[in-house]
Amino acid sequence: MFELNKTLTYQGFLLFWKQIREFLITLGNIGCDFSRVFAHLLTFKINFKEVVEQSKRFAFDSLPISLAIVGMTASIIAMQLAPELAKQGGADYTGMLSALVMVRELAAVMSGFAIISMVGSSFASEIASMSVTEQINAMKVLRVDPIEYLMVPRFLAGVLFMPVVFIVSAFFGLLCAGLVSHFCADLSILNYITSMWHGLYIRDIFIAILKSSVFGGTIALISCSCGYATRGGAKEVGLATTKAVVWSFLAIAMWDFIFAAIFYL
Amino acid sequence: MSLEIKNLTKIFDGRKILNDISLKVENGQTLGVVGFSGSGKSTLLKIISGILYEDKGEIIYPENSEIAMAFQYSALFDFLNVHDNIAFPLVERKEFRGKYSNEEISKIVSEKLKMVGLEGIEEKFPSELSGGMQKRVGFARAIVTNPNIILYDEPTAGLDPVTSTMIEDYIVHLKKELNAACIVVTHQLSTIKRAVDNVIMLYQGDIVFQGSVQDLLYGNNEYARQFVSASIQGPMNIATK
Repeated sequence: MFELNKTLTYQGFLLFWKQIREFLITLGNIGCDFSRVFAHLLTFKINFKEVVEQSKRFAFDSLPISLAIVGMTASIIAMQLAPELAKQGGADYTGMLSALVMVRELAAVMSGFAIISMVGSSFASEIASMSVTEQINAMKVLRVDPIEYLMVPRFLAGVLFMPVVFIVSAFFGLLCAGLVSHFCADLSILNYITSMWHGLYIRDIFIAILKSSVFGGTIALISCSCGYATRGGAKEVGLATTKAVVWSFLAIAMWDFIFAAIFYL
Repeated sequence: MSLEIKNLTKIFDGRKILNDISLKVENGQTLGVVGFSGSGKSTLLKIISGILYEDKGEIIYPENSEIAMAFQYSALFDFLNVHDNIAFPLVERKEFRGKYSNEEISKIVSEKLKMVGLEGIEEKFPSELSGGMQKRVGFARAIVTNPNIILYDEPTAGLDPVTSTMIEDYIVHLKKELNAACIVVTHQLSTIKRAVDNVIMLYQGDIVFQGSVQDLLYGNNEYARQFVSASIQGPMNIATK
């Protein structure tokens, strides 16, 4: 006899529905948590001691890996670009193109990825393990608001210190690209620096700082929210961390697209 | 002054976890809550402590009530040392922020640690403590705000008999010291015998026994008899639960 619930189509539909449901729940959780964080920010109920503590993590923990990733990427771009442009007689454009690519796009995105892997994942796993070991419940019973204590400082740290990581990384990336251009295409550092300012405007720098601030807040919020909603045990802590990382990557890509469409289309 | 619960009902996914529960605990009294796993004991504590909300019914707290809860696995903040764990509500709670100086906080912390028989461990982290010590630090953190309602979720679970006896003594001691209304969720008969005045038994969300410890141990209630004798045979069907 035909049984609908045993068909492959039905099972596929169930799996698809489960994914959609999971997606909507996560989106809803992130939205709710954002509104609660925002409400706290409006009332200036901010635990500054925790903000300083989390800012140290945000700015310093991720900086070495961020510098390494952005530095490598910038060097690779310069390595590929500078000799080709030199052959075509356009070596002077190396600085300009490197600066455009680094400041407008890569420094913010790459340092965002570094922060997701270093800080976002640690936020998510830390809060998730607090949730499954009832530490968050203990906080509620002690009448300390977990949103105020855990999420608001991390969100603020992200918004305020991701731009710092971006600025340092972008500067380091441009420096690496300049050195590589010098050694690969015999381009003088002075020419490189002069060329940098031909295509780059102050507006670009401000947009990139704003973008990195949005990236930082998004990473912190998604990581905290995925951790906070965790129930169960060790397996769920791992799943929450993975979810936080995946969602943060997607969110960064989405924000990057939105910024490009708004400011450069 | 008493804690009173009237017709409390909690539903999860269409299933009644607590069904029309009513009880009363006077200050200076300890109520034991027993029952098999999944009978709604911990849910009851979570609703009283405000972690969960009731679907129906009412909880009447005493005036100026201050609730504390000692969790089954202590729930100590693993990123803070013992001192900071106990001081946490004094430092982070809005109404206490800035009220106490660091010296005053340290004095209160030492006082509370002394009440649970632990001294000189302020600098240690939870991971450096034994299970029994973690429980007692959890108690110290719970009583740091001088609560008048104390909730204990399986306080002796996973502890050796000697440490369990010590914990039971502290439950009695803290009740007397703070004149608090206490509720102890437990599976241990020793805890019921030593630390509890009255008992209720939950089964599938209903109260199936309510009475004194003597009634539980030696009375005729068939649910109580099955629980005390740890028998598989009886009105509570574990296999099909």
